[in-house]
Amino acid sequence: MANNDVIVTESITKVYAGNGVPVEALRGVDLTIQSGEFTALVGPSGSGKTTLLNLISGLDTPTDGKVWLSGKLLSGMSGSELSDFRRDNIGFIFQAYNLIPVLTVEENVEYIMLLQHVSKAERHRRVAAMLEEVGLAGFGDRNPPQLSGGQQQRVAIARAMVSEPAIILADEPTANLDSRTGADLLDMMSHLNIQTNMTFVFSTHDPMVMERARRLITLKDGQVESDVMK
Amino acid sequence: MMTLKIAFRNIFRQKRRTILTALAMIVGFALSSVFIGWSDGAYSDIIEMFTQNRIGHIQVHGDDYLDKPSLYKTMVDYEAIGQTIGSVKGVEAWTPRVYSAGLGSVGEKSTTVQIIGIDVVREVEATRFDKKIIDGKVISAQPRHEAVLGKGLAKNLSAVVGDEIVIVSQGADGSIANDLYEIVGIAESGDDITDRMACYLHIGDAQELLVLEGRSHEIVVIVSNINRVLKIAESIETELGDSTLDVAPWQVVAKDFYRAMQADQQGDAIGRIIIMLIVAIGVLNTVLMSVLERTSEYGVLKAVGTKPIQIFWLVVCEVLIIALGSIVVGAVFGTAANHLLSIYGITMPQEFTYGGIKFQTMYAEVNARSLIIPAMTVMLSAAIVSLFPALKAARILPARAMRTH
Ligand SMILES: Nc1ncnc2c1ncn2[C@@H]1O[C@H](COP(=O)(O)OP(=O)(O)OP(=O)(O)O)[C@@H](O)[C@H]1O
Ligand SMILES: [Mg+2]
Repeated sequence: MANNDVIVTESITKVYAGNGVPVEALRGVDLTIQSGEFTALVGPSGSGKTTLLNLISGLDTPTDGKVWLSGKLLSGMSGSELSDFRRDNIGFIFQAYNLIPVLTVEENVEYIMLLQHVSKAERHRRVAAMLEEVGLAGFGDRNPPQLSGGQQQRVAIARAMVSEPAIILADEPTANLDSRTGADLLDMMSHLNIQTNMTFVFSTHDPMVMERARRLITLKDGQVESDVMK
Repeated sequence: MMTLKIAFRNIFRQKRRTILTALAMIVGFALSSVFIGWSDGAYSDIIEMFTQNRIGHIQVHGDDYLDKPSLYKTMVDYEAIGQTIGSVKGVEAWTPRVYSAGLGSVGEKSTTVQIIGIDVVREVEATRFDKKIIDGKVISAQPRHEAVLGKGLAKNLSAVVGDEIVIVSQGADGSIANDLYEIVGIAESGDDITDRMACYLHIGDAQELLVLEGRSHEIVVIVSNINRVLKIAESIETELGDSTLDVAPWQVVAKDFYRAMQADQQGDAIGRIIIMLIVAIGVLNTVLMSVLERTSEYGVLKAVGTKPIQIFWLVVCEVLIIALGSIVVGAVFGTAANHLLSIYGITMPQEFTYGGIKFQTMYAEVNARSLIIPAMTVMLSAAIVSLFPALKAARILPARAMRTH
C-alpha cells in the first residue's frame, strides 16, 4: 500500500438481505484511490454507486472484503472511533439534501466544526467564506425548508467542505441543480481540489461531472466494468 | 451546547405532541403533589391532635414508669422539676399528673375507673382541658373534692352533673383509700378508650386519696414547634441532669401509634407509582414516534460524525427539557391546590377514627416533600422511559436511515 493511497478496497461485496430476495449490490470491488484524485463513479441506476460510497465512508459495512481509509482498516474501528474518523476525514454530500431542518443554514454548515471544537471566531470566518463560495452569502439565517432544492444542495456541499476533510464523497451532487449552478459548483470543487489536494469521489449520471473528472470508474451490476485515467 | 440547541428546537417543532407529553407530566406531577400534601396534612393533624389532646409532646417520668407503670414510681418535688422544664427554650407549657386505678360507684352502679389527678390551671393551659368539657364545668383551681368524668364512664355509671361518685382505691402507704366527690362536669377527649375510664380529680385531692403528698407520676410537656420535639427533649434531659428521670418524646411514648403511622405513610409509594405510570405512558409513545419520524435526520447527524452517545443525549435531553418545564408548571398547580386544600380542606361524608381520634375534615399541607418527591419521580420516569427510544436513535445505521424518506 503506497503512502498516498487514501482509499483502498479489497474484494468488497455487499448483499442486501432485503425482504426475502437477497440483492447482490456489489460483487467484489478492488479499488485504489490516491490522494488528490478527482474521480467519478458512473454506471446505470442500480449498479451499486451509492452502496460503494456508503461502504467507503463507513456508513455501512461490507458483507465481505476490507476497506482502508488513510491506511486505517474501517472494520477494526469502534462506532465512536468511526464517528470521529468520519468527522475529521470525510465530507459527505448525499444524494438527497439531508440537512438538519431545525438548524439554520449557518448552523448546518457550522455543525461539524462544533463537533471538532473549533473556536467560535474561526467557525464564523469559515462559514462566511464557504457560504460566499457556494453563492449563499446572506442566506445564513434561513432554515433549510425555506430554500430551493438547488440551494439546499449547495448548503450540503458547503457543510461537507467547510472543515476541509481529506476526502469528499459526493453522491450525485449535481442531480438537483440547474446546469449553470452545477457547473459553478464543480468549478469550485475542482479549484479546491487543486489548491488543497482534497480527494474527491463523485457518483454521477451527469456528463458535466464526467467531463471534469480526471478518472472515470464505471460500475455495472456491482462490479468495475472499466477504469479510465484521462 | 449544540445538542441542547437542537433538542430545544425539536421540542417546538411538533407543538401539539410536546403539549400532550407535557400535559401527562403536569397532571402526574400535580396529582402526586396533592396526594402527598394532603396525606402529610392529614398526618400532621392526627399527630397534633393525638399529642396535644392526650399524651403531650414530651413526657417526663420517674425512670421506667413508662414501661411498667406503678403507683410507687413517683417524682418527688415535681414542682421544681416542672420549673426547670419550663425554662428550657421551646417549651410552651407543662402539667403534672397523678395516676391510679380504682373502683368508682354512682348510686347502684360501679365500674373500674382511671384516676387522673390534674393541676387544673396548668392542664387548661397545656392541653386545653376546658375545651373538653361538654357538660358542667372544669374542676375548681383549689381542691374541693370535685370530679370530672369521661363521657363513656358517665354513661356507664348513668351519672349526670350534680351526682356524687365514691372512689375506692389503695393508698401508697398500703391503706384502703376511699372518698366522695361531686361530679361537676363531663369531658370528651376525642378518644373513646380514655373517656370510658377517665375520672379527673384535682391533683391535691388525688394526692390526698393516694397518700402521695407532693408527688406526681408524670409531667406532660407541650412544645411550640412539634418538628423540634426530639431536640427539645434532649435539652430537657440535659437541663434536668437527673438519671432517675426519663424524658420521652411522643414518638417513644406512643411507640405503636408512631410505628403504625409510619407504616401508613408508605402509602406515598402509591402516589409515586401513579405518576410514574401516567408519565411513562404519556412519554414513551410520543418519544418513540418522534424518533421514528426523524430516523433519517439522526442518520445524517451520524453520517457527518456525531457520536452515538451524542445522539442518545439529544433524545434524552428533549424529554428532560419537557420534563423540567412540566415540573415548573405542575409545581404551580400542585402548590395552588394544596394551598386551597389547606384552607378549605375536604370534608368526608362520614366521620372516621384514627388512633382513637375522630376526623371529618382533612386539610392538606404545602411542604417541600410534596414538590421534591413528584419532581424526582417525573424526572426519573422521563429519563427511564426515554432510554429505549434514545438507544434506538443512537444505534441507527446512517446508510439505511437515509434511504427512508
Ligand atoms: N437497503 C437496501 N436494501 C435492499 N436493497 C438495496 C438497498 N440499498 C440498495 N439496494 C439495491 O442494491 C442495488 C444497488 O443500489 P445502489 O443504490 O447502490 O445503486 P446506484 O448505483 O446508487 O443507483 P442510482 O444511480 O439509482 O442511485 C440496487 O439493486 C438496489 O435496489
Ligand atoms: Mg445512488
